[in-house]
Amino acid sequence: MYKLVPSVCSYCGTGCGVLFEVLDGRILGTLPLKTHPVNEGKLCIKGWNLHEYVNSFMRLQAPRVRINGRLHQVTWDRAFQFTADRLKSVIAAHGPDSVGVLASAKITNEENYLLQKFARAAVGTNNVDHCARL
Amino acid sequence: MPEMQETVREWLDTGKVDLFLGYKQVEGHPLPYAFNRDNLEELQDLTVSEARYPLEKLGAGILAVQPELKIGILGRDCNRRALNVLAVHQQITPGQMEILEVKCCPSPLRKHADCSSLEPRTYGSVKLEVGIDNSMPTARMEQFDQQTRFDKWLYEFQKCLKCYGCRDICPVCFCKECSLEHADLVETGGVPPEVPLFHLIRAVHMAGRCIDCGLCEDACPVDIPLRLLYRKVNEIVKDLFGYETGLSLEQPPLSILGEGASGVTDSHRAAV
Repeated sequence: MYKLVPSVCSYCGTGCGVLFEVLDGRILGTLPLKTHPVNEGKLCIKGWNLHEYVNSFMRLQAPRVRINGRLHQVTWDRAFQFTADRLKSVIAAHGPDSVGVLASAKITNEENYLLQKFARAAVGTNNVDHCARL
Repeated sequence: MPEMQETVREWLDTGKVDLFLGYKQVEGHPLPYAFNRDNLEELQDLTVSEARYPLEKLGAGILAVQPELKIGILGRDCNRRALNVLAVHQQITPGQMEILEVKCCPSPLRKHADCSSLEPRTYGSVKLEVGIDNSMPTARMEQFDQQTRFDKWLYEFQKCLKCYGCRDICPVCFCKECSLEHADLVETGGVPPEVPLFHLIRAVHMAGRCIDCGLCEDACPVDIPLRLLYRKVNEIVKDLFGYETGLSLEQPPLSILGEGASGVTDSHRAAV
């Protein structure tokens, strides 16, 4: 089963259109989307090689939590619970401004909106920055 | 174009091909689309697209994984030349891919035009003054004296972002080990690339291989006139050896390995 799947490049915030060649569920390659208004059929070297990180054996495919100094693969529920508990205890001990949130160019506008909302409304801090200043 | 769709249906029904790569409007974009016997009802959506993708390269990629398949592609003259070049270099077996021909885009080999993306574009004054008008014929370029020509090419090459897009989109670029990534030949891991070495290595490799489809220039983010460069390289091959790339299954004059490679005759083989 062969198909070509249009998508958006996940490397930076520009939002270039890409086309994945997919054969039997595995991505074989990446092409620029010729008719996309952002990149008009052009890509940079990172965009051309998007399929490589999807298929990389180094890619993390499940969350991991550090327990007693060692990373353990856990379920998403467990990872969320762990993160929430730790954030709560840090906020309780040191106040909301002890927490900072780093947004990302690799996620969508809406996800970034939610992230700053989470920081300001849920945590109660204005410490919001983005990955370009990491 | 019901005629085109009927032909594809017939090809799939009779088993002439197992998979047909054409175009279909998906989410507002004309995208390459694989038609097969399981989605025959979608054949009514098969269209011709002005946005061209290297369908023969996609096909060769599938054949590399599933060599038993027979693949049909919607194609033009350049695609036919590409299939010949791929067969000459043993990337596909002749007959593994069939072309359903549609109207063609302009090239020195064929004049009538259908492809809007290859209409001459208008460029800014700096590019026209310091650089090169991409739609210039090779003969016009040769009217400049050597120093001017060299300066103009350097101006064009130094814009390169080293995205390797020209190589990655090229239907006849298939080498597993590419000279453009070989540390002994070019400086790796740095931007900009070595000018003009990087581009000239590719130009040399395009001699007797480039099928003048123009996809490299289409994919270039900085408008380097690659098509003009490779046309010139192929003109030299034609003038010196009388070889016209992609028009036959004859070995190119510059191949040095394999059956029928240049200068290897039966008497040589007997001697070995």
